[in-house]
Amino acid sequence: MRRGRHVAPLERRVANRTAAGARVVFADAGNTAGIMGIHGTMAIEDIDTIPGQTATPPVRRGRGGRGAEARRAARRGAAVRQATYIARRLAPVELLTEEGLSLIEQNADTVLQEIGIEFRDDPEALQIVADHGADVDGTRVRFPRGLCRSLIQAHAPAEFIQHARNPDRSVKIGGDATVFAPVYGPPFVRCLDHGRRYATIEDFRNLVKLAYSLPHLHHSGGTVCEPVDLPVNKRHLDMVAAHLLYSDKPFMGSVTAPERAADTVALARIVFGDDFVDRNCVVLSLINANSPMVWDGTMLGALKVYARANQAAICTPFILAGAMAPVTAAGVLTQTLAEAMAGMAFAQMVRPGAPVVFGSFASSMSMQSGAPTFGTPEPALVLYAAAQLARRLGVPFRSGGSLCGAKIADAQAAYESANTLMPAVMAGVNFVLHAAGWLEGGLVSSYEKLILDADQLGILQTFCGGIDLSEDAQAMAALVEVGPGSHFLGCAHTQAHFETAFYRSPIADNNSFEQWEAEGAKDGAERANAIWKRLLADYQQPEMEPATAEALAAFIARKKEAMPDASY
Amino acid sequence: MAEQDEELDLKSLSDEELTEQMWDDLYDGLADEIVEGTQILLERGWQPYEVLTKALVEGMRVVGNDFRDGILFVPEVLLAANAMKAGMAILRPLLAETGAPKMGKMVIGTVKGDIHDIGKNLVSMMMEGAGFEVVDLGINNPVENYLDALVEHNADILGMSALLTTTMPYMKVVIDELKNRGMRDDYVVLVGGAPLNEEFANEIGADAYCRDAAVAVETAKSFMHRRHNQLRAAAG
Repeated sequence: MRRGRHVAPLERRVANRTAAGARVVFADAGNTAGIMGIHGTMAIEDIDTIPGQTATPPVRRGRGGRGAEARRAARRGAAVRQATYIARRLAPVELLTEEGLSLIEQNADTVLQEIGIEFRDDPEALQIVADHGADVDGTRVRFPRGLCRSLIQAHAPAEFIQHARNPDRSVKIGGDATVFAPVYGPPFVRCLDHGRRYATIEDFRNLVKLAYSLPHLHHSGGTVCEPVDLPVNKRHLDMVAAHLLYSDKPFMGSVTAPERAADTVALARIVFGDDFVDRNCVVLSLINANSPMVWDGTMLGALKVYARANQAAICTPFILAGAMAPVTAAGVLTQTLAEAMAGMAFAQMVRPGAPVVFGSFASSMSMQSGAPTFGTPEPALVLYAAAQLARRLGVPFRSGGSLCGAKIADAQAAYESANTLMPAVMAGVNFVLHAAGWLEGGLVSSYEKLILDADQLGILQTFCGGIDLSEDAQAMAALVEVGPGSHFLGCAHTQAHFETAFYRSPIADNNSFEQWEAEGAKDGAERANAIWKRLLADYQQPEMEPATAEALAAFIARKKEAMPDASY
Repeated sequence: MAEQDEELDLKSLSDEELTEQMWDDLYDGLADEIVEGTQILLERGWQPYEVLTKALVEGMRVVGNDFRDGILFVPEVLLAANAMKAGMAILRPLLAETGAPKMGKMVIGTVKGDIHDIGKNLVSMMMEGAGFEVVDLGINNPVENYLDALVEHNADILGMSALLTTTMPYMKVVIDELKNRGMRDDYVVLVGGAPLNEEFANEIGADAYCRDAAVAVETAKSFMHRRHNQLRAAAG
């Protein structure tokens, strides 16, 4: 808005207020449900007083769905508007050339053929790989060059749908899709009110409810925190039940023992039906390699259960480079590809066509202390190139997340998380686990950071939409209408698009210093604290057929009664 | 420095010069040189315990401090600890013969169900580097492995590690079994691993939670110091 130009008094008043940031207000945290939508709704006070060449005249009565009350209702609406998974319109960044990719693939095949991979504590698995042409020497499995790749390419789906119990929440895994899932695994939780403490099942349920309420988390995740207050041998039942009952988004299954994986499948069958589960993916589970070059009995056991049930497994080498892999990106990529291919090929041996995801969790480490480090440049390079390797292999890819080593949701947390989230999006990652809530190297699920990260996910989801080049988006009519020296606030094009034109953060404070101070001078974490509390207060459980809920409860009760509590 | 890379005849050094050279050789992780220096000092009539404390432990103290201060990197400390271990291989039987005070013996292992052992291996390495004797049981240890090894090796310290939230409760199973058999007070129990904290260690009845390898060494030293004092008091 230029100074010194003649504008009508009313127009000038609004313009000045706008420039000062005092009058154009974004809905506050007390309006959480409404403002967490995909693009949010820009709430401008006295909006009908904004003049403009083509402003709609004020409407006072008798016109259905209009007027102040109607608009307030629409913009403060209680219903959470969920985003669907992302269909990326951006081409992924290709970091390595054909030559580089071939080199890594050859090296990975050399690892598989000459060094081999340990398949520990699972004689059946050794028999299976031997039957499919691998050379088994004790627990060391050597795969002839190309065997893993050919099995994966012959059978594993390039993309698949993971069905949610609410069909609108089903997600595509693979191709141009990106799915955001919350943090997985932390034994601790943190919030501003109570600090850092061991997680309980109540925290678990809270985090499931929050992930359900956050529109840009497309997935309910799995171990959103570890409920250490429950017996080790039974807690998976309450965890899976929480995902099924308190959310209707897709979820991840238990992998800590084959029988717990089987319980997960059984619970899914109650909800989805036996036939549906056999023919469709309804559970996606995290099967981690014990890098370097080991698949252990627990993981192989769970992988077999899920593959046989036609359920998806993310085969993820979990690598802290320097300790569990060479220190170089090329070395990490080679080892990651070899380990992941061995896991995915094994799944195809167990059941051809079983959905699998190529996973890569790569962090650097402090060579001075041994601590894992996040948001560093080297793992970002690994991420980009591993995504390319997955695309060439023809399977979906998992990596990235809001990873950081920070203890609290501070600047370190934000920078490090951004340094992993942005590469995840730019690399074309299909499944982004740990996309929100991760703190302290994955030891802590943070209530506030979950909210802060989820806002970033909203930003990235919008970003992934790319640039719209439609006739309307070209906005030539607006340029013609406004011409030199005026402003665009009132023109027809702006009037038609202002509500959804810009992603609006529920966290960021862009008000004047005075207003920010008057509202308590809160930082981002404090604002996030108010938001998660509001989300929990407003949470409404998605409906489930009573008979289904009863069947779930009965199964869980029967399982719990069948064995004593155990610490392992 | 090029001139320092030239052949250095350790035998030509005085006791004081040799000791200081051994501190540097430990710092540089030169195992062969530590073995040679240890032998020379013994040949000169040093008591094994004197070699241990004045040459090796003192040298590793410097290594430990510089590791703590971020000057030395993990791979360098690994080399230093290996050099220390090479010297200890010579001294250990002699120490036993001469009845020298023991630094302490630790039985360490990752608990049942858990095969993550990088952190535990770092602790083993640092403990050996500090002169402790370490019996490393490896991964996936059921309760009887720990108990058998404690008795068999007449250990002072039990160390348990876990990376998984689903395996860390097993530490309590081991400690409870020690109590059942009336053995709990015979050992110092140290626990560690990413999902643990002090509160957890207290709850399961461990003596201490050690957040990293350096803290494990310091904690072990302080408990052994207390033990020696108690023994001395009892003897007196």
